[in-house]
Amino acid sequence: MKAFSTHLKIEGKLSLRGMDMIIFAIFMPIIAVIILGSVFGSRPAFDGAPYSFLAQSFGAVTTIAICAGGVMGLPLVISDYRQKKILKRMKVTPVHPGMILGVEAVIYTLYSVCSLFLVYWVAAIFFGYRFEGSWMSFLPAYFLVMLSMFSIGLMVGGLAPNTKTAGMIASILYFPMLIFSGATLPYEVMPPSLQTVADIMPLTQGIKLLKAMSLGLPAGDVMLPVIVMVSITVICTGVSIRCFRWE
Amino acid sequence: MKSECITIKAEGLSKSYGGVKAVDQLSFTVGQGQIFGLLGANGAGKSTTIECLLGTRSFEDGSVEILGLNPVKERRRLFERVGVQFQESAYQEKITVGELCEVTAALYPRPADYEKLLIQLGLSGKKKSNVSELSGGQRQRLFIVLAMTPDPEVVFLDELTTGLDAKARREVWHYLKGMKEKGLTILLTSHFMDEVETLCDKILILKKGHTVFYGAVEEAIEAGPGNNLEDAYLWFTDEEGNEYESL
Repeated sequence: MKAFSTHLKIEGKLSLRGMDMIIFAIFMPIIAVIILGSVFGSRPAFDGAPYSFLAQSFGAVTTIAICAGGVMGLPLVISDYRQKKILKRMKVTPVHPGMILGVEAVIYTLYSVCSLFLVYWVAAIFFGYRFEGSWMSFLPAYFLVMLSMFSIGLMVGGLAPNTKTAGMIASILYFPMLIFSGATLPYEVMPPSLQTVADIMPLTQGIKLLKAMSLGLPAGDVMLPVIVMVSITVICTGVSIRCFRWE
Repeated sequence: MKSECITIKAEGLSKSYGGVKAVDQLSFTVGQGQIFGLLGANGAGKSTTIECLLGTRSFEDGSVEILGLNPVKERRRLFERVGVQFQESAYQEKITVGELCEVTAALYPRPADYEKLLIQLGLSGKKKSNVSELSGGQRQRLFIVLAMTPDPEVVFLDELTTGLDAKARREVWHYLKGMKEKGLTILLTSHFMDEVETLCDKILILKKGHTVFYGAVEEAIEAGPGNNLEDAYLWFTDEEGNEYESL
C-alpha cells in the first residue's frame, strides 16, 4: 500500500538522519566482533572446546542491534510520536495510526537483519569464523528473540506517560541487558553469581538459544529459553494492546 | 431550516471533564459551501468541540454527523474527504516540508497536488527546509497546505491565522474565499474578529461550554452594542462582566 511504503521510505530517512541507530545497531555490533576477534582470535572457547571463543559469542553479538532497536528505539519513537500528537493527527486520516508503528517495527527489523549480515560478514572475512549450526534453525530463533524484544519495547512505549519516562525505562532495561546478558560481555567469563542474575534477563535466555543454534549444539536445553521468549512476547504484546493510548 | 445541503451537524453535544461541563448541549449545522466560525475565549470549549466533531474525543451525550457519516464508526470513509488542521502542530523531528507533504499525500486515495498548494500559500521555495526551521507564520501556512492535501469537501481549521503577519493573513483569506466559491465547507476557530467578519457566514459563540450566540454574523452585530463584530463578541462573552482568561 502506498501509505505504508511512502512512510517506510521517509521514516527510514528520518531514522538514518537521527544517527543513533547507525551507532548503536550497526557500528556497535561490528566493533564488538572486532574486539572479540582481535582479543581472543580463534582461541577455543575453553580448553578442549570444538569451537572458538568468537563462534561462541556470535549469537550474542547478533542481538545487540535487536536490543538497540527493540528496547531503545521502538519505545522512544512510540512515546515521541504520541507526545508530538502525530498518532492523533493520523486518527483524522483514512489510515489507522497503527500503520506508523508497523512502519517503525519494519525499520528496526531491517536494522537488525542488516546488523546480522554485517556481523557475520566481518567475523567470517577477518576472523575466519564459520557458522557451524543450521541457518534454518538459527533464523527462526533469531526472529523469536526479535519478537520478544520488540514486544518489550512496544509495552514500554505504550505504558510510559511521556518521552522522558520512556527514555528512562528504556535505559534501565537496555544497558543492564546489553552488558549482563552476554551481548557485549561474554556470559562465559562472568562469575557464577553474576550468571545467576543474568539468567533472569529474557535476553540471556534468547542468547542461549541463539548460541545453541549457531554452534549446532544438541537442542536439548533450548526448551526453557523458548518458553521464556514466547511468554514474554505474549504477555508484553497483550499488555501493550490492552493499555495502549494513541494520545 | 432551508433545504440547503447540510455538511456538518451537531445535536445536543455534551462533554465534561471530571464533572465539569466543557461543552453543554451544543447544536448547530453548517451548510455546504459555508464558512462557519466557532468563537470563544481560550478554554471556552472550542478545541473540545472540534475534537468531539472529529471523533478524536468521546462525548457523553448528543450526536455528530459530517457529510452524513459518523466520524467514529465511518472514520476511514469520512476522512478521505475531510482535512484537519489541529492547533498544535504535529510533525516528526528533522522532517522537511517536502517530506511532510509527501507522507501526508500518501494517506489519501485522491490527494490534491501539494506542489500547487505550496505555491498558492507562498511556500514554494521551502520544500527542502526543515519544518522546525520555518517561522511561525510559514508553519501555520504549511499546516493549511496539509489540511488541503486530501482535496477535501470539508476542512477544520483550528486557530487559522495565529502567528501570521497582516499580509499573509490577507492571502490566506483570499485563498479560503476562493475555495469556498468552489464549494468547500470550512469550520474554523479564530480570535480575530475582523477575520471572522470577513470570512464567516455563520458563527457560534461559546462561553464556558454554553452557546451564547448562534446565527449569521450580521445578526450578531445587530444584537450587539456597536457596529462591528468585535463589540458584539465582547458583549456576548462578557455579559456577566469579568473574566478575561489568559493564555
